[in-house]
Amino acid sequence: MSATELFTDERAVRGTSSPVMGMVLFVAGEAMFFAALFAAYFSIRAATRIWPPARIGIPELPIPAVLTVTLVTSSVVLQFGVRAIRRGRVATFERLLGLTILLGLSFLALQGYDYSQLTFGIKDGIYPSLFYVMTGVHMAHVVGGVVLLSVVGAQSLTGQISTAWHEPVDAATIYWHFVDIVWICLFTVFYVAVPR
Amino acid sequence: MAVIQAPPLARPEPVGRRLLVWLTTTDHKKIGILYLINSLGFLVVGGILALLMRTELARPGTQFLSLHAYNQVFTEHGTLMIFLFIFPTLAGFGNYFVPLQIGALDMAFPRVNALSFWLLPAGGLTILSGFLVKGGAAAAGWTSFAPLSVQGRSGQDLWILGLAIVGTSSILGGINFIVTILRMRAPGMTMLRMPAFTWSVLATSLLVVLATPVLTAGLIMLFADRHLGTVFFDASRGGSALLWQNVFWFFGHPEVYMLILVAWGIVSEVLPVFSGKPLYGYRGVVLAFLLITALSFTVWAHHMFVTGAVELPFFSVTTEIISIPTGVLFFNWLATLWKGKLRFEPPMLFALGFIAMFLIGGIDGVWMASPAMDFAIHDTYWVVAHIHYVLFGGTVFGIMAGLYYWFPKMSGRFLSRKLGIWQFWIQVVGFNLTFFPMHILGLRGMPRRIADYPPNQGWTGLNTLATIGSYVIGIAIVLFFLNVFLSLRKPKDAPADAWGSGNSLEWATSSPPPAHNFDTLPEVRSGRPVYDQRASRQGLVRGESPA
Amino acid sequence: MSSTRPRRWLILIGAVACLPLTGCAERPATTQGVYIHLLYFIILTLALVVFVGVEGMLLYSIIRYRRRAGDDSEPPQRYGSTRSIALFFLIGAALVAILFPYGEQVLALVQQKPTPIETINIQGSQWQWSAVYPNEGIATSGKSFVRSLVIDVPIGEPVHIHLISNDVMHELFVPNFFFMRNAMPGFANDFTWTPTRLGTFNGQCAEFCGLGHARMTLVVRVVTDEAFLAWVQQQREALLKLTCPPTSGNSLHVTAKDISWNTNCLAVFPGEPVSLAVTNLDAGIDHNFAIWNGVDQKHQFFATGKFSGVATNSFTIATLPPGKYYFQCNVHGPAMSGVFIVGSPKRGGG
Repeated sequence: MSATELFTDERAVRGTSSPVMGMVLFVAGEAMFFAALFAAYFSIRAATRIWPPARIGIPELPIPAVLTVTLVTSSVVLQFGVRAIRRGRVATFERLLGLTILLGLSFLALQGYDYSQLTFGIKDGIYPSLFYVMTGVHMAHVVGGVVLLSVVGAQSLTGQISTAWHEPVDAATIYWHFVDIVWICLFTVFYVAVPR
Repeated sequence: MAVIQAPPLARPEPVGRRLLVWLTTTDHKKIGILYLINSLGFLVVGGILALLMRTELARPGTQFLSLHAYNQVFTEHGTLMIFLFIFPTLAGFGNYFVPLQIGALDMAFPRVNALSFWLLPAGGLTILSGFLVKGGAAAAGWTSFAPLSVQGRSGQDLWILGLAIVGTSSILGGINFIVTILRMRAPGMTMLRMPAFTWSVLATSLLVVLATPVLTAGLIMLFADRHLGTVFFDASRGGSALLWQNVFWFFGHPEVYMLILVAWGIVSEVLPVFSGKPLYGYRGVVLAFLLITALSFTVWAHHMFVTGAVELPFFSVTTEIISIPTGVLFFNWLATLWKGKLRFEPPMLFALGFIAMFLIGGIDGVWMASPAMDFAIHDTYWVVAHIHYVLFGGTVFGIMAGLYYWFPKMSGRFLSRKLGIWQFWIQVVGFNLTFFPMHILGLRGMPRRIADYPPNQGWTGLNTLATIGSYVIGIAIVLFFLNVFLSLRKPKDAPADAWGSGNSLEWATSSPPPAHNFDTLPEVRSGRPVYDQRASRQGLVRGESPA
Repeated sequence: MSSTRPRRWLILIGAVACLPLTGCAERPATTQGVYIHLLYFIILTLALVVFVGVEGMLLYSIIRYRRRAGDDSEPPQRYGSTRSIALFFLIGAALVAILFPYGEQVLALVQQKPTPIETINIQGSQWQWSAVYPNEGIATSGKSFVRSLVIDVPIGEPVHIHLISNDVMHELFVPNFFFMRNAMPGFANDFTWTPTRLGTFNGQCAEFCGLGHARMTLVVRVVTDEAFLAWVQQQREALLKLTCPPTSGNSLHVTAKDISWNTNCLAVFPGEPVSLAVTNLDAGIDHNFAIWNGVDQKHQFFATGKFSGVATNSFTIATLPPGKYYFQCNVHGPAMSGVFIVGSPKRGGG
């Protein structure tokens, strides 16, 4: 135990670890950040008669559906990785972590491709403003998640992660699941909840 | 042959080495002091900006500040005072004293703590550097309403960037405080034995973590409208000017509670110590803090009554309801003084001044909580009076109470009592002279944020009076800095329980504390561990330091 | 000695507490203002009760419970009780229970919309107010940094204001009316004033709107019915009298500078298209050129896109039927406007 923990309330030592609690709070803050953007979306949509606006048209479903499958799969894979490290299977964990990162990068690449196929640019009105800023900011969070997972990967490769101590894995997993959930909300709002 | 070794000469550490320690420290106590130093620096900058405004407004007609210059000055004054002086001072006190008060070694994340601090001067200087670029500093007010803020040149972008940096600093700090308070308390320190000050930091940190990201979202939309061709705030292309106000005030109202809660915490510490009694109704105080934290998310549109676009009864009633727990705080403070044995040291004077003046600030807000009345006084100098009564008469007086109270703990010396009393009275007079007339100016129809006013409106005399008052405030602040400078040169003579009647754990260790905070930690069996320790030493006369 | 001290303090408190009363120097000039003026005093009464109570207890404690020199004994260590905390909550709740319903009643009175005798469309733009009386077909405007908007309203009757902004957030504020309302882009506000006193009342923008915010003023003149009709008549005659000879070749060149056009009268021959050159000399400020049926802006016949100065652009206006039209910059409204005359088939126009 660290010197800090010598002074700490016993119950706290057995409870949530500090890095995980810190990450939960960080994710709560990020949830508020996205909530503000979603609130902007809904308030503008409520005030606009035709949505999506006529010149934007109904968005195509195939690529976004693949994006969703990719990200959800990556969360499942990462969760399997957490199970592996809890049982001490470091090599399995590292492989699953690597697969998660790969899926995350695929998500980014595919979304970049999707952007290139869209018929509207960011300057084309209020719908594009919301679309590009909300999905763009989400992409930035995916990038952050990939970086975070890579750092955890590096920690594992240098032998710092084990059954007894894998707090960074728990923390990074919480963040990654959050990023996944935000995507599901974006997917629902922009692609599912539109008149087809 | 025996070699006689001369004892090594005692040499003061080289300045370079001491500087490096301070630049790389992760010790919460040093970081707390760094926060305070940074804040006092920005107090001077913000104060000079205030004096520039008051000097210009003393008489009608533009004397030396052009319209554009004035607009930059009031924007930077508000932004820097709120984000670079008031909030970081409260965070600095939290940094220094929360770990001590809960009996911890340091904050939960010491390196993140250091990062949180260094982001502050970075963000603050970014905002301030607007004065050096073409077009000048941001000039859309600290509230930066769109679509006005979509206009404006690079100064506005520096404001956005600087504020994003400062926001990151406070969010990281908020997370650090919450984890520290929830996980690092000493054995026996249950949540309901924590000092009120620590509760106020916890409540503030919850607000910071949940509300500040909403500002970040707004800043991104604003930047996108300015440079990426988006139209979030352009009504002619499907956007909404009101969107900015809703997003900003959803953050903005919790923000103002971030600026007052810790001052309430400080006052809740100082009053008991200098009354010789415990804080009356501790649980009511904690409950009030938490209720206010939650309710602060329900009132934001009371800033938007005159837009004609918000639910007036809902926001009016929530605004009035939030005054109920605030009133509970006042009653508890008064009950703490009641039948006590009051000692009027400078911390106590400032704490009493806080109560007297924050009351006025709270009451004059009630007029605005009623929409029909707000239609008459919104965006006038009545609001300027209100915000300064709560932020200056409230928080700044609370900060002064905290500085005088904790100075001996942080530095080992007391600030001069005599200079403190002089500062207090000059500050009371100057403050009321400056801001009370603004209630009347508001009722006489003087709008806020105007660089100039016509001579025949009946506003001139009161403006001149307010300017005189502002210079008196300046004198008080100079006295404060003089006090700090002179006191730091005295020898360290403050005992552990510096004021002789401390309750909380910071008074159980030396002044200043050792690097590891506590040589021995008293047993915590109540909310007043140091009082218990003192009381258990029967026959100990007040003022004698423990053996 | 100690018995006179509290009395002196009480006098001091009373004097300070009366200060707010001196501040209410505006006499309301509308029926809405009268209600709000009364609300001010109701809140003041509640506030004084709280102020005197709390400050009084504070001062009393300071005087009565000062630690006497040499007294090192401990005062009774009281921690409070659930009952006292509940009482503290109840006191606040009682005050809110009085204040909120009363405030709502006044709000309902202020927000009434009786059938108006008059409608004025007021627009704010950086940095002047302008006003259109759509039923009378007249418009009047302030000019940025030069003059206030001056509007006349008849006394004793409800006047409907339709308020909007052409650019950023503004706020129409007339202190004597105890009233202000945001002028917003894209979202109009409608409200009613019923003036009760003759006089000249100053107003200005109260929402910070940039460089000229402090100069964005207006004057409301509350006049008798007769005076009002006379004023309307005067404005209409001025408009009717406004005429100018048609330009040869139907080629027009207008210049925008300092939020003004170089002319308030343009005339062309009928039956032929018009070539129009628009020069914008206001650096960084958007202008456009538009032709409407009249000041009430029911139908827009022609409009260029907005463009920012300094620049010149050329346009062609398709043939318009003969008549007297109204032109303006849509960004600045009546502040930048005039008559556009398409002559009758017999040359002469007007």
